[in-house]
Amino acid sequence: MLVISNLSFQFRHRRLFEGLSITAAPGDLIHISGPNGVGKSTFLAVVAGLLAPASGEIAYLVDGAKATDRRTYLEYLPAEANGLYLKMDAVENLLFWTRLRGLKLDPNAAFAALDPWNLNHPLLRVGFPVEKFSTGMKRRLALARLELSPVPGWLLDEPLYGLDQQALSVFQNRLRAHLQRGGFALLVSHDLEPFRGLITQTIDLAKRSAP
Amino acid sequence: MRASPWQQYAVLVKQGLRAELVDKERIVSPILFALTLLLLFAFALGDLDDALRLKVYLAETMLTALFALQVSFSRLFEPDRQDRVFDLLRTYPLSHTSLFLAKYTLVSLLGSATLIPTLLFGAFLNQSPKLQLFSWTVVGIALLALAGLGALGVLLSALTLKANARQILYPLLYFPLTTPVLLAAIQSSRLCLEAGGLTPDVNSWLGLLVAFDCIYITLGILLFTELVDES
Repeated sequence: MLVISNLSFQFRHRRLFEGLSITAAPGDLIHISGPNGVGKSTFLAVVAGLLAPASGEIAYLVDGAKATDRRTYLEYLPAEANGLYLKMDAVENLLFWTRLRGLKLDPNAAFAALDPWNLNHPLLRVGFPVEKFSTGMKRRLALARLELSPVPGWLLDEPLYGLDQQALSVFQNRLRAHLQRGGFALLVSHDLEPFRGLITQTIDLAKRSAP
Repeated sequence: MRASPWQQYAVLVKQGLRAELVDKERIVSPILFALTLLLLFAFALGDLDDALRLKVYLAETMLTALFALQVSFSRLFEPDRQDRVFDLLRTYPLSHTSLFLAKYTLVSLLGSATLIPTLLFGAFLNQSPKLQLFSWTVVGIALLALAGLGALGVLLSALTLKANARQILYPLLYFPLTTPVLLAAIQSSRLCLEAGGLTPDVNSWLGLLVAFDCIYITLGILLFTELVDES
């Protein structure tokens, strides 16, 4: 369970949000809403550990006790970037990120993970640099990485960026399965239609922002 | 689930090597740069008498290696900068020491691949019937210098990770900080070639070289975390 208490963030002299408290329990999909520039992506970056908050606390609780490093339980998908080594192929990217988490993944398991995302083609998966992928293909690969990661918390910043209808449907199903397995997600997205029926809570950052 | 720091180190080294091998230009360009510079030195300096040749050989090859290594070091985080890979690394439960040591291992390997051909080619260009310029002891001294320079290279490359304005800091910090290492490497190599082996004078310069290696590696491990967290 992710517990965010009284969080505030300040960029130089401008306070973006303050007094933000959220609890993400298993099965929760929490939508972070607000107009452009209000600090939605910044909020996810703070939770992911990329930026330090001005005040407040972010803790991941395991059996009621605070985990030493919350990043062990969170996976972050940034907006407009996918965290892919562009000169390397899809399988090498998947193997790297999962092994960095301590998961023993063999290439066959990586092929299987690429399958639902329509990337398990012999000409695409090995020996074909990711830099030659389209925007949507890179996003699908990033989502395959996310799904392979054995963590309960997903931090999703505009996850639908570049996805076609088929990939969108796959993502909906995978996200639903993740939530049903006891995972949770914090979501920033301007397109809410695909998440209808899944969102359990909405946090409007505009109401938490300093004027 | 969390990988141990050693597992993370191994994964990062393998990934770093793959990223270098997949883009061979990154390995070849510092070597080509060094060889071209040595060739230019050879044309510029012309024919030299043997007494001067030894000193010139050491000065030009070590200086060339220093410039070539700077090219190599400054590109160290290039694959991680693309597509916000480095940001994603920071969101993983990653030991910063593992990351530093992985990058350090990588620069040591790539640096050796630049250093050895540079010394060989420098000796070839300055060869004379009366002088034995290429020596494995000198290669050893140069690798000892690389041990310190590599740590400094990783640290200074990390400086340029986020703020591009900081890139101007790289040469400003790299060259003054490398001067003692370069000086100790050149002096110990000169004394070693003149005496034909290790003498007490050589050893005192080597002691200085080892001391700077230890300082830079320790500083690297200590300051790298700060730089990564800040970027």
